Amino acid sequence: MTMATLSSLNLATPRMTANLPDSNKVNTVKAPYLNQNRPWKMVTHLGSRRMRAMVPVKAAPDSLSEKVEQSIKEAQEACSNDPASGECVAAWDEVEELSAAASHARDRMKDNDPLENYCKDNPETDECKTYDN
Amino acid sequence: MAVSTVCTTQSLNSTCSISTPEKTHLGFHQNQVVFYRRTSKRGGGSCVITCSVGDSQTVVIGLAADSGCGKSTFMRRLTSVFGGAAEPPKGGNPDSNTLISDMTTVICLDDYHSLDRTGRKEKGVTALDPRANDFDLMYEQVKALKSGIAVDKPIYNHVTGLLDPPELIKPPKILVIEGLHPMFDERVRDLLDFSIYLDISNEVKFAWKIQRDMAERGHSLESIKASIESRKPDFDAYIDPQKQYADAVIEVLPTELIPDDNEGKVLRVRLIMKEGVRHFSPVYLFDEGSTISWIPCGRKLTCSYPGIKFHYGPDTYFGKEVSILEMDGQFDRLDELIYVESHLSKLSTKFYGEVTQQMLKHADFPGSNNGTGLFQTIVGLKIRDLYEQITSSKTAAPLEATKA
Repeated sequence: MTMATLSSLNLATPRMTANLPDSNKVNTVKAPYLNQNRPWKMVTHLGSRRMRAMVPVKAAPDSLSEKVEQSIKEAQEACSNDPASGECVAAWDEVEELSAAASHARDRMKDNDPLENYCKDNPETDECKTYDN
Repeated sequence: MAVSTVCTTQSLNSTCSISTPEKTHLGFHQNQVVFYRRTSKRGGGSCVITCSVGDSQTVVIGLAADSGCGKSTFMRRLTSVFGGAAEPPKGGNPDSNTLISDMTTVICLDDYHSLDRTGRKEKGVTALDPRANDFDLMYEQVKALKSGIAVDKPIYNHVTGLLDPPELIKPPKILVIEGLHPMFDERVRDLLDFSIYLDISNEVKFAWKIQRDMAERGHSLESIKASIESRKPDFDAYIDPQKQYADAVIEVLPTELIPDDNEGKVLRVRLIMKEGVRHFSPVYLFDEGSTISWIPCGRKLTCSYPGIKFHYGPDTYFGKEVSILEMDGQFDRLDELIYVESHLSKLSTKFYGEVTQQMLKHADFPGSNNGTGLFQTIVGLKIRDLYEQITSSKTAAPLEATKA
């Protein structure tokens, strides 16, 4: 996944660039010391000639699920002292907000099948015809 | 924003020029066309400049509901009625809450939070609390968009819980503001051309949230229940009172057809429509203003258990005259839906079967087989009708001014 070394070798033959894997959907050069907490902060190697458009990366749903879990634990702790306090209420509100965000993220993940998206608009094409007996 | 006609006395040396300035930062209205006409008379010929401000007045719709209550589904149905799918702005912040399609822009009012997640935690307030929201900024920006001026709207990132740098929002033809507090502030309320409130009863809310959250690790029945319970005081104090101001309320209750049902699959949905709202004519069943109870299943239509039951009648809601259309049960087949549609009146459809077509188009959306989907679709068509009435009344006015 780390093609960081490539950037310093980009003056090399074009054959090197042809080997770029297709998995590199995000057109940025990722440095190995990428800050895991802020995935949208891409660090390009100095002197990189390949200036592609920087596309910020969406937050991964896994981290969202972890956040939901974490927030539930925190809310349960905060409420064990005083269920009516502001901290308790705010903590459960945070759980609600994160759960909603996680559910939206899950819906977005569901929509990413290219065949499904194509067939939604073109159900009569050969790839998309369905036969129900 | 009215039409203005200005007559100048000096003739212009230059020939006709038509300019369409889009300098929104100067406060110019979009689609402003200025015509310069040169007269053939020498010396002292008059030149008429007419500024016609095309469709700079945006129609603003407000949609209020608690979190997890179907606002996004409603938004998708609404934008689909106007045609096209609404998508987040391309090339911008991927965690933006805004949706843009050809005709509509949907703004999430969470973007006007004045406190981010840590700030709210410190102060011990929920997002429902008005102290966590900047209503002044909300009012200014909605007012600006309504008058055709683009704004830099902040972004509240739901994933990180922080306030991100603002994004530019251009005034659309239809602006929908959806969130917890669209009708809370009186000034914002006056800007709304139409407002909707999604009122979900506690049992149904619990069932929906269970469906939504049980897939998440860490959640259990107790945690979901505790979350709803602890937010309830703030919800009742700040969000619920907004329903008295709404022009249409979609109330979702547990069904009465199945005794002791607690699954929440079959729903009883009531569409409460305020009377006397400008450009809005309530839907009715058979005879406007009378009280009707209708079970469509019988000799002509066969339904499966538990069937469908309709009710329509006038009523009062928070002291205002309303008409209530109610549906209990669910649709299993296409012909049930088209049968029901053919008996409803004043649906504002453009052709026979439009409601059914819209429902089928989004058969995978939640609520597509019961009153929630049906009434959301109907409200969407009503909003389209309202938009067309408002824009046609605006184009009628400039024509009269230029005649003078």
